[in-house]
Order: sequence, then structure tokens, then C-alpha cells
Amino acid sequence: MYKIILLLLGLGFFNLSFSQHKYSLSGRIVDSNQNPLPGASIFLMPSGQGTVADAKGYFSIPMLENGSYRVEVKYLGYQNWVDTLLVDANLNRLVELKPQSVELQEVVVWDHRAEKRKQEESLSIEIVTQDFIKQNLGGSLMQSLERLPGVSTIDIGSGQSKPVIRGLSFNRVVVVEHGLKHEGQQWGADHGLEVDQYAVENVEIIKGPSSLTYGSDALGGVIDLKSAKIPGPNTLGGSVDIIGKSNNQHWGSSVALYGRKKYFFVQLRATALSYADYRVPVDSVDIYSYRAGLHNNNLRNTAGNEQSIHLNLGWAKDYFQSKIFVSHLRSEAGFFANAHGLEPRHVNTEIHDASNRDILDPYHQVQHTKIVSTTQWRSEKLKYELILGFQRNLRHEWSEYVNHGYMPDQFPDSLQYDPNLELQFDKKIYAAKFKVDFGTWKKWNTSLGFNGDFQHNEIGGRAFIIPAFDQWNAGIFGISQRPLTANSILQWGLRYDVGQLNSKAYYDWFPSPEVSGADTHFVYLMRADHLLKNFSSFSTSLGYSYFTDQWLLKINAGKSFRMPNAKELAANGVNYHHFSYEVGNANLKPESSYQLDLGMEYDGGSWIVGASPFVNFFANYIYLNPTSQYDRLYGNGNQEFNYTQSNVFRVGGEVYGHVHLMKNLLLGMVGEYVFSRQLSGDKQGFSLPFSPPAAGIVNMKYTAKKFYFFESMYFNLDVRFSAQQNQIVPPEEVTDGYVIFNFSWGSDIKIKNQKIELNFQIQNLTNTVYFNHTSYYRLINVPEAGRNFVVSLRFPFQT
Amino acid sequence: MKKTILTFAFIIALYGTFSSCQKEATVDKEKPVIDLSAADAFPGNCDTLYFGEPFVLKMAFSDNVELGSYSIDIHHNFDHHSHSTEITSCTMDPIKEAFNSFTHIQNYSIPTGQQHYQTQLSIPLPTSNDDGSFDEGDYHFYISLTDHEGWSTQKGLSIKILYR
Repeated sequence: MYKIILLLLGLGFFNLSFSQHKYSLSGRIVDSNQNPLPGASIFLMPSGQGTVADAKGYFSIPMLENGSYRVEVKYLGYQNWVDTLLVDANLNRLVELKPQSVELQEVVVWDHRAEKRKQEESLSIEIVTQDFIKQNLGGSLMQSLERLPGVSTIDIGSGQSKPVIRGLSFNRVVVVEHGLKHEGQQWGADHGLEVDQYAVENVEIIKGPSSLTYGSDALGGVIDLKSAKIPGPNTLGGSVDIIGKSNNQHWGSSVALYGRKKYFFVQLRATALSYADYRVPVDSVDIYSYRAGLHNNNLRNTAGNEQSIHLNLGWAKDYFQSKIFVSHLRSEAGFFANAHGLEPRHVNTEIHDASNRDILDPYHQVQHTKIVSTTQWRSEKLKYELILGFQRNLRHEWSEYVNHGYMPDQFPDSLQYDPNLELQFDKKIYAAKFKVDFGTWKKWNTSLGFNGDFQHNEIGGRAFIIPAFDQWNAGIFGISQRPLTANSILQWGLRYDVGQLNSKAYYDWFPSPEVSGADTHFVYLMRADHLLKNFSSFSTSLGYSYFTDQWLLKINAGKSFRMPNAKELAANGVNYHHFSYEVGNANLKPESSYQLDLGMEYDGGSWIVGASPFVNFFANYIYLNPTSQYDRLYGNGNQEFNYTQSNVFRVGGEVYGHVHLMKNLLLGMVGEYVFSRQLSGDKQGFSLPFSPPAAGIVNMKYTAKKFYFFESMYFNLDVRFSAQQNQIVPPEEVTDGYVIFNFSWGSDIKIKNQKIELNFQIQNLTNTVYFNHTSYYRLINVPEAGRNFVVSLRFPFQT
Repeated sequence: MKKTILTFAFIIALYGTFSSCQKEATVDKEKPVIDLSAADAFPGNCDTLYFGEPFVLKMAFSDNVELGSYSIDIHHNFDHHSHSTEITSCTMDPIKEAFNSFTHIQNYSIPTGQQHYQTQLSIPLPTSNDDGSFDEGDYHFYISLTDHEGWSTQKGLSIKILYR
């Protein structure tokens, strides 16, 4: 008995010592020509061990415990190599890296990039490529992305829209391009996003509080636009896109060229598009109980056009990569002529209906210029990123002069601007971001960063809504993540921001009658006083994700914030689009959002289901509250809307799934819903403005690799449905639910040696009359566009 | 596995919160109403007012909860810009330029706690200002009414203001 015990103990000891035996992983990293890649990094999870290949490409990691490791090999300019290795003996591996023709930025193998990014990000994230945009091409980038769960838009006509993530928009969603926040005039409901959708290579949409990385405003989420991939060495090529749409007689073209010597590369793109008034499937619309007839179903004066040019220059070599992006976008679009306020002046239908392509008053013009330089370099351990940027956003709103309120009948000659210039906004913004990635230390992969910006805003025109202002923001942040096991990651971060807004005083250019007692004095009203506000805020986030071949589970808790903007603090004027007198509040506090996000996805091989619910508590949510009061002097007798704050509870999420009914036939569905409720303030018990209704898509997609001369062909039918939205706040209206059908077909075809990528869509197949609750024209009962045929052709070429 | 269970527990908790919020809060979602149908309602669409003669505004306002306040805006329509919200259309004078048009903008309160309110408001129409006598012709008469919650409704009338 004694001996047996001893034997067992001995075995146990033996086992113990066996399990403690250490192995090494060594090998060599080479390129496809078997040339060594010195400096390539090798990283093991979950141990966090890593090393760098020597001058001849050799590496060795000693003292590894028996077990399974996820091995990642990275080298700048090459695709990452990822594999899971079972280390139960000393291993020696030859790793051959393939050259990369893609964006290097953060991580990994292109094919699995989206997958990997989804695993690492503990917030819900959608990643789509230019192919998705092509297959779902809408009038603007956001309309093309609207199909994604949790993403919707506030549309201003057929060519402009604002992004909405889970019901949050305006300054609560950040659009990032080339790593910097895109800055336009996001505060305005009728201001679209100034981005050329053909210049976007892929889009990453983070749904959830992301102030940690992006600072103020990223409460609702982030739309991160990644531009064209870096071309491979010694290549020359390009593409020509041609787009046509039937509903608004839209035509457009985008031409791109690229070239790269060994290290230096150039990319060039030019896009131009033009569209006529869009058509709705009704012959009149009821604007505040007045019926406006529509000529040939055309929404009078909603035509527009857009031109943009992009130039990217870059240098990419082993440890150093630098790019400069220069772009200029110009767009112009009419406002529905019958809808500029309640009493549209000068709607001379004869002139307006003479052509559906011309742009008459009222209309807006936007010019957006952007220069961004991004530089990344790395030493053995550290990785640096420096981004510098300049943006200018110049916006004009034109409408024929009319004496609103106490303005004189005749516009005086003494003023220095065109009487028909209603509003002008000119923003110049200088921004910088610096980030250091410290690599892995005790399994923690940490990066620290700083970003700051300064903006200068001028105003012009006869009307007043926001004052001129200067603003600066600065923030420091630290983000750290570590693998807990081979298939789970923990991440957290902390950020601190400070900001200052300094707005100028503004006086009316015309006198108004101020009554005091029995006397009436004509005075030039001061609409805005000089204002100096300082803000500061913390953001934080803690997330965990767990992934196996089947499961993806995530949980994230985060706090994000937003500083009040100039309009919320200092507006004091009539918005003639809605005839509301909007008044800012200088005492507003920053908004804080506390959110818990979950994400789960199960991949059953031929089927996938997933869900991403969230709960959110908003402290100090800022909104424009309609009061029961009218204002004579400042508001020209219009209803007063005051900026105010309340606490808000929100809950919602997305569900999605698909199943391969047959090898080539996929049945899919997505659904989204957000519920919000104000917990305090004047509108306690109400929802939030612009809340999208519950909505979903059921789709059937058939794909064929090859069908006669069609390659990579697909057919898709989307059944899009939306529930009634009865969660409304004044002055919104209940919007009925609807079902619409969208059909699409696409394929690559080869004519001689020329490949043509063809996409064809029929939007609103049944020409259904329906209303989009978040459309800018919803309030005046304008339905969405009728049936629309969309054709897009792309001719890629390469030498 | 434990984590999976834990996550699902969270989801269930979340669902619980979610469904408990589904209980409809009773908030006012109805707009107030301006009623011009009474026989003595004044002014009506296409009516004529006269400079130098005050007139009495007679309209019936109502709301399901509580009325807020109302506002009257009278301004020229010499350029035929304005649409009335009424179905009947009026005969308009030829389009002309404005030089010294008459403008009346004023907001008026309604006693608190009212669901129904009948206006009996005398509005003066002066004949001139410092720049001389007012232009006569087509005018736009615009009434806007709110309720306590901030819902609003509007009526726009085409009228003429002339010299007797």
C-alpha cells in the first residue's frame, strides 16, 4: 500500500515536472522571395511573450509552457500571419509573409481583418467595404450605410443626409476620416455630411460610447472612414465609376488613378455628380394643412450637384509610413421651394417647374477643404502615430430677401453683403493627434495619446442663428488591453478632456420696436452677448470580449461626454425652416452618457445569429424644448424653443442572423429598436426628438461564383419594414409603419481583358408612399422617394 | 461556459429593464385646435380690414389638456408669397413692391388651466408711422396657437387691408 502511494506520488511528481517542462519556438521570417524580414515582430497569446526577428530574419522565444498559442507575426508592408500552434516540443517554423496592398494601420490579415477587429472591440461594430456601398448605393454615404442595423439617417432631400446611430445624431456622432474628426456644421438639422462616398474604401461603425478614443461628441458612436489602400510596390492603375439613377435623373462619375514606385505612391480621385428634383409617388403634399401641388411628382427645387477631388501622397518603407491627404468637396442643393418656413415666398411655380434640373432659391452651398498628414513609425518596441490636419467648412444658405419680422421692406445698400444671403458659416479648424503604442509589457498592450484642436468660426448673412466663436479642445488618453486567455481580451481606458468656447456678441442690423410702458423705442437688438465657457470631463471604458470558433461574446461599460456647442449655448434667432424662435442657454453643462453594451454572436457554420443590446443613462441630455410661449421682439412672433437639459434613459439594440438555405442561397434578417424616455425636465415622460422607429430587413440573397460569363454574381431582395413611430415630441407627428422592397443584382463581367463590375438596384420596387420619421421634410408631410432604378458600373484597370 | 451563462443572465436582466419601460407614460400628444367655423368668427379668409378702424378677433381655441398662448402676425403679401391654409382662394391685387407696409406682430396670453378659450380681442390698425401712411393691398394674417406642452397649430389667412 505504502509503495503504491509512493508510486502515485512519484507519478504525480513526474507529471508535475513534465508539465513544467519548457519548450522554445524558433524560426525565420521571410518574404515570398525568401529574403529575410529583419525586425518582424512575433507575438504570442495568451502568454504575451514576443520578440523581433534579427538581421537575418531569425527569431527564438524560449521558455514556453506546454500549450496552445495564438501566434501573430507582423511586419510593416506585409500581411500579418496568424496561426494557432500547439507547443508540446521545441518548434521551428519558417514563416513566409505576403506583401500587403492594404492599409497598415492597426492590425492584421486583410481577409480576417473585420473578424479580428470585431473580436478585439468590445463595443458593437460594423465593418463594410466599398463593395457594400456599391451594392446599396444611395444618394449619400449615409444613405448607402442605412441598411446596417442600428444605423439610420436624417435625410435632407435626395443627396444630403446626417448620420444617426441608435437614434443619436447631430453632435452626438463622430465621423472620422484619416484618423481625425470630420468637422462641418453638424449642429444644423439641414446640414448633410460632406463626404464623397466613392473615396471611402471601407467604413467602420462603432455603436456605443467612444469618447475614450475620439473625445467629446462620440457619445452615440463613431463612423470611421478609411480611405484607399496603399497600392503595392511598382504598380500603376485606376478605375472609372459611372453611376445613373432614374428617380432624380442622377448621373455621376468618379475616376481614380494610383501609382507606386518602390516607396513613394500617389492616388488621385475626382468625382462629379448632378441630380434633378426627386420624385415622390404623390401629386401634392399637405404643408401645415396647405396643399401644395407637385408638377410631375417632382419635389420642386430639390436638385443638386457635387464635385470633389482627392489627392493622396505617401511614402511607405519598412519602419516608416507617411501620407498626406488633400481633398476639396463642393456641393450645392435646393431646398424644397414650398418648405422654407410656413409661408414660402416667391414660389412661382411657373419658373420653378420650367426645369427640374435648375437650382433656384432657397438653396445651400457647401465647400469643405481638408488637408491631413498621417505619419507612423516604429522602433523595436514602440509605435508612433502623428496626425496633423486642417479643415475649412464654408456654408452658404441663399434665399430671396424678405422682410421677416421687423426687417425693412427694402434691404439697405449700406450692408456689405448680398441681400439674398440668409446665412453663412465659415469654420476653420486645426487639429493634431499623437499616439504612442508601447507594445506589450507584462501582457498589457498599452497606448497613450494626446489630441487637440482649435477652431475659428465666422458668420455672415442677414439672419442670425449662432454667433461667431473660437473653440479649443485638448484631451489625453490611455488605452490598454491584454489577452486573458488565447481567446479572450480585456481592455480599459481613461481619458481627460478640457475645452473652451469663446463666442462673440452679435447685434441685429435693423432696429426693432422695444416697448417700455407707453413708449416705443427702436433699438438694434443684441442677440448674443460675449460668452466664455470652460469645460472638462472624464471618459472611461472597460470591456471584455471572448471568442471561439463559434462564439463571440462581449461586454462593455463606458462613460462618454459631449461639451455643449455654440448653438446650444448662444442661439437666439428664428429658424425659418420651421418658424421656431430658438434660444440657447449659456448655463448648459456637458452631457454625460453611461452605457452598458452587450454583444453576442453564434456561428453555427451554415448559420449565424447575433444580438447587441444596450442600456444607457444620459445625464444632462441637451435638446431644444418647444415652450407654450411666443416672442414678439426677438422671435418675430414665433413660438419659443429653449435649449434645456434632462436626464434620459435609453434601451435598445440590434439583432441579426442569416442561414444558408442552400449552398448559394442565404436568408438573412436584421432588426433594430431604441426606446428612450426623458426622466426629468419639462418634457418628462416624452421620448427624444428624431427617434427612429423599430425597423428591420428580411433579405434573400443568391450568389453564384460563375454563371456563363457572369462572375461573382448575386441577386438580392430586401424586404424593409418599419413600425409606426408614436413616441414623439412636439412638433413631431406620428409616422405610420411601412413595408418596401428593394431588389439588387450585380456581377463582374469580362470583355476581352477588361473587367467590369456591374451593380443594378431597384429601390422602392412597388413605388410605395411612405414616410421616414427622421427625414428633414417629414414635418411637412413629404413622402420618401418613389421607385428608383440605380445602375453603377466600375472599370478597374492596372498595368 | 460560465461566462456564457453570466452574459445571458445580463441579457435577461436587460430584457427585464426593457419591458418594464414599455409601460406607456401618459404624455400629451395632441395639438391644440383653432376653430374658424363659427358664424361670427373674424377675420375669415378673404375678409377686408380697414386702416384706422380697430377690429375684434373672434376665434375659438381648444386643447385636450391645457391651452398655452397665441400669436398674431400681420404682414404684407404684395408679392403673393403666402398661401392661406384655407381651401377657398381669394382674388388678389396685382403683384407690387412694398415700401411702407404695415406689420403687426404680437403675442397674447391665455388664462392658465383653460381647455377652451374664445378670443374677444380688439386689434388697432393705425394709418401711418414715421415714414408716412401704410401701403394698402393684400396682407397675410397668421395665427399661431400653442398648448401648455408646446404643441402648436397654425392658420394663415389671406386678407386685404385698405383705406375706407
